[in-house]
Amino acid sequence: MSESSASALPPGRRSRQTFIHPENLSVDSSGFSSPPVNFLQELPSYRSIARRRTTILSRDKQSGTLLKPTDSYSSQLEGGITENFNSQSIRKYALNISEKRRLRNIQETQMKYLSEWDQWKRYSSKSWKRFIGKAREMTTHLELWREDIRSIEGKFGTGIQSYFSFLRFLVLLNLVIFLIIFMLVLLPVLLTKYNITNSTFVLIPSEDTDVQCTIYPISSSGLIYFYSYVIDLLSGTGFLEETCLFYGHYTIDGVKFHNFTYDLPLAYLLSTIAYLALSLLWIVKRSVEGFKINLIRSEEHFQSYCNKIFAGWDFCITNRSMADLKHSSLRYELRADLEEERIRQKIAERTSEETIRIYSLRLFLNCIVLAVLAACFYAIYRATIFSQEHMKKEIDKMVFGENLLILYLPSIVITLANFITPMIFAKIIHYEDYSPGFEIRLTILRCVFMRLATICVLVFTLGSKITSCDNYSCELCGYNQKLYPCWETQVGQEMYKLMIFDLIIILAVTLFVDFPRKLLVTYCSSWKLIQCWGQQEFAIPDNVLGIVYGQTICWIGAFFSPLLPAIATLKFIIIFYVKEMSLLYTCRPSPRQFRASNSNFFFLLVLLIGLCLAIIPLTISMARIPSSKACGPFTNFNTTWEVVPKTVSTFPSSLQSLVYGVTSEAFAVPFFMIICLIMFYFIALAGAHKRVVVQLREQLSLESRDKRYLIQKLTEAQKDMKNRLDGQ
Amino acid sequence: MGQCLRHQMHWEDLEEYQALTFLTRNEILCIHDTFLKLCPPGKYYKEATLTTDQVSSLPALRVNPFRDRICKVFSHNDMFSFEDVLGMASVFSEQACPSLKIEYAFRIYDFNENGFIDEEDLQRIVFRLLNSDDVSEDLLADLTSHVLNESDLDNDNMLSFSEFEHAMAKSPDFMNSFRIHFWGF
Repeated sequence: MSESSASALPPGRRSRQTFIHPENLSVDSSGFSSPPVNFLQELPSYRSIARRRTTILSRDKQSGTLLKPTDSYSSQLEGGITENFNSQSIRKYALNISEKRRLRNIQETQMKYLSEWDQWKRYSSKSWKRFIGKAREMTTHLELWREDIRSIEGKFGTGIQSYFSFLRFLVLLNLVIFLIIFMLVLLPVLLTKYNITNSTFVLIPSEDTDVQCTIYPISSSGLIYFYSYVIDLLSGTGFLEETCLFYGHYTIDGVKFHNFTYDLPLAYLLSTIAYLALSLLWIVKRSVEGFKINLIRSEEHFQSYCNKIFAGWDFCITNRSMADLKHSSLRYELRADLEEERIRQKIAERTSEETIRIYSLRLFLNCIVLAVLAACFYAIYRATIFSQEHMKKEIDKMVFGENLLILYLPSIVITLANFITPMIFAKIIHYEDYSPGFEIRLTILRCVFMRLATICVLVFTLGSKITSCDNYSCELCGYNQKLYPCWETQVGQEMYKLMIFDLIIILAVTLFVDFPRKLLVTYCSSWKLIQCWGQQEFAIPDNVLGIVYGQTICWIGAFFSPLLPAIATLKFIIIFYVKEMSLLYTCRPSPRQFRASNSNFFFLLVLLIGLCLAIIPLTISMARIPSSKACGPFTNFNTTWEVVPKTVSTFPSSLQSLVYGVTSEAFAVPFFMIICLIMFYFIALAGAHKRVVVQLREQLSLESRDKRYLIQKLTEAQKDMKNRLDGQ
Repeated sequence: MGQCLRHQMHWEDLEEYQALTFLTRNEILCIHDTFLKLCPPGKYYKEATLTTDQVSSLPALRVNPFRDRICKVFSHNDMFSFEDVLGMASVFSEQACPSLKIEYAFRIYDFNENGFIDEEDLQRIVFRLLNSDDVSEDLLADLTSHVLNESDLDNDNMLSFSEFEHAMAKSPDFMNSFRIHFWGF
């Protein structure tokens, strides 16, 4: 009996007497005593994982010495590692530097015993990796604003840093969009205009359009007041209207080089499609990391406790005040999460009466929200119509301020609406009785929708004015050519005005609200009112909405005004520095901090919503509204989209039939059905995997209970044996 | 500020450290400068050692609630040689691979060094994170039980290394938060 239990220990291990004292045992929920930890450390599974981790576990951790090289355990370790040289680089091992150096020497001596070919292979792979490492180091130096963002991260945490990284991403995106438009559209035009290459413009006169449609009166009044230049600069009219800033400048049908003719209308349309596709792909690529992690998650809530506790502290915080703030925000966050759990339970325990009452209240409040939205949209509609009608009056009959007010009326109304509605929404949502986390998300979603839909309303108002005429003029050209001889330029001007106004507002708010507020708080802090009001908080959702709003304007406007992305790039660069200064000098961080992972996903989601909302007016204007016959590259086509069918008809007939086949219904419907089938297959697969995961988890906990039962039996048997030996 | 012998690092040493750690050239030189400023006068940097207190008082670690654990894990005999500091910086650098970070995070969070993160360790972690005097027992117990519910797969009230690894692989914030950029003054 005693021999069998002694031989129960696996051979080859250093035998250690595990004297289990009764007070070491603790009882867990399954009713079995959980074994003391040093027993568990001797199990083969623990040891094999430890070997895989390549840590050198030492019983004498207290003395802090490493195991000597002569130790059989560590030489087994080294044997294992050197075999895996190909798969891992030495940096990834969790050893200290002297150990790694020793390993490297062993590997290098081993290399001498390899054949020439293997040696050369390893040498070349090492030098390639070194080259890649150096190239990566070089490119990190080129990263824009790296030091600024690092210092912001150190002082304010990763939540606010993610806002500035997002801003940097938008700067790069706009720069690339501008480069696309420049290469495809601007470059041939500029090369020809300044006679750099020997090319000429090709102007094809339009055949069957009415002469009236092609009249484009360039407004040039005799007496020009000095301030009209300022108005022109701020609103894109006058001298700016004919420059390459707007669509109307590109009244060119082609550019004739030496051996080919460059089709400018096709290039213009393709540049639009290219920048929209590029934006979509880049945003999706950036958000894939966030999605992957969300998909693996099996918990319901977005943020798990493990994440908040093990990854809760930002190790890059360096100053004391930020550390205190982080502590307080962690306290707030963890308490709020537990509170949310409790509320969720309370909601689950609601009686049916209460549920009916709550739902009817929510329905009523949502109707109020819709009414507020409708009121704002109507206000924007009326303001746009008013502004458009009065813009046609003579400029010099009006006073300067009144003129600017009329021109900027839609922008002003949009900004006011975006300022008031968040406050209304915040008030309403209190009565809807949601859990706190859901409240925040719903408010933000409503504000996002409000902000981005206002631009669409503006564009649709313009569209309706353009295509509606009194009795006869619309059948003539398809659009209202009396008021809008070149309607794309006019839409471009509206977008330009929105962008400039947005920039002015951001600068004005920072200069005239944030800085004085900070001065008041610093110098007049004795006043109770000022103390209550306090310093500005850097509110991430509002700031993000602001820049997504600007980006949506840029996406819509880039078709009508090719230089708009360049202006957007400059605008975002200015905003970066302004916001950075405002953050450093006037803001205090808010007690409720955003987490970086949460933020990244949220920012890109909002940006994606903006992109989708931007594509709608663009497709309608490209496909439905006839292009203006007086200006622009599409004078010879009915609509902008017509370039594509006309180009396809110039292809060789086999290619043509292929294109027609791919875009016909006979191809699209089966394709759609196959895609649906594939999607259903993946959904079923994911469901099956989830079930297997649940089963495996159950099995794992059962195995653990078995293990503890066996260990308990073993320790009891050992105790018996010891007692018997003592008794003898 | 100690006055050490101003040895410029040899080029071969720099290359070796670049190959053995995840640090870039500039980062290694910055750490070298910091080490020289702190080490006692008259000693070659490869032989000098820093105490745990000196390393804990670096700006990078000064306000970290886990700085004593970090110093314990990366030091030998409570002393830091230059290579120990480099090893520490390499684990916290931006380019380090996730498996290395998870490995050392486990060691840092294992307060009682028994190879598992048990309830006692979790309570100490939460206590350090909240850093407040009026933390109720209920709050600690609640949070601990939530963490164990989520990540303890075999229901033994402890997190083994593979369970911790599994939890951190799913955690979106881990790589971002387990980073220290700047080791200077």
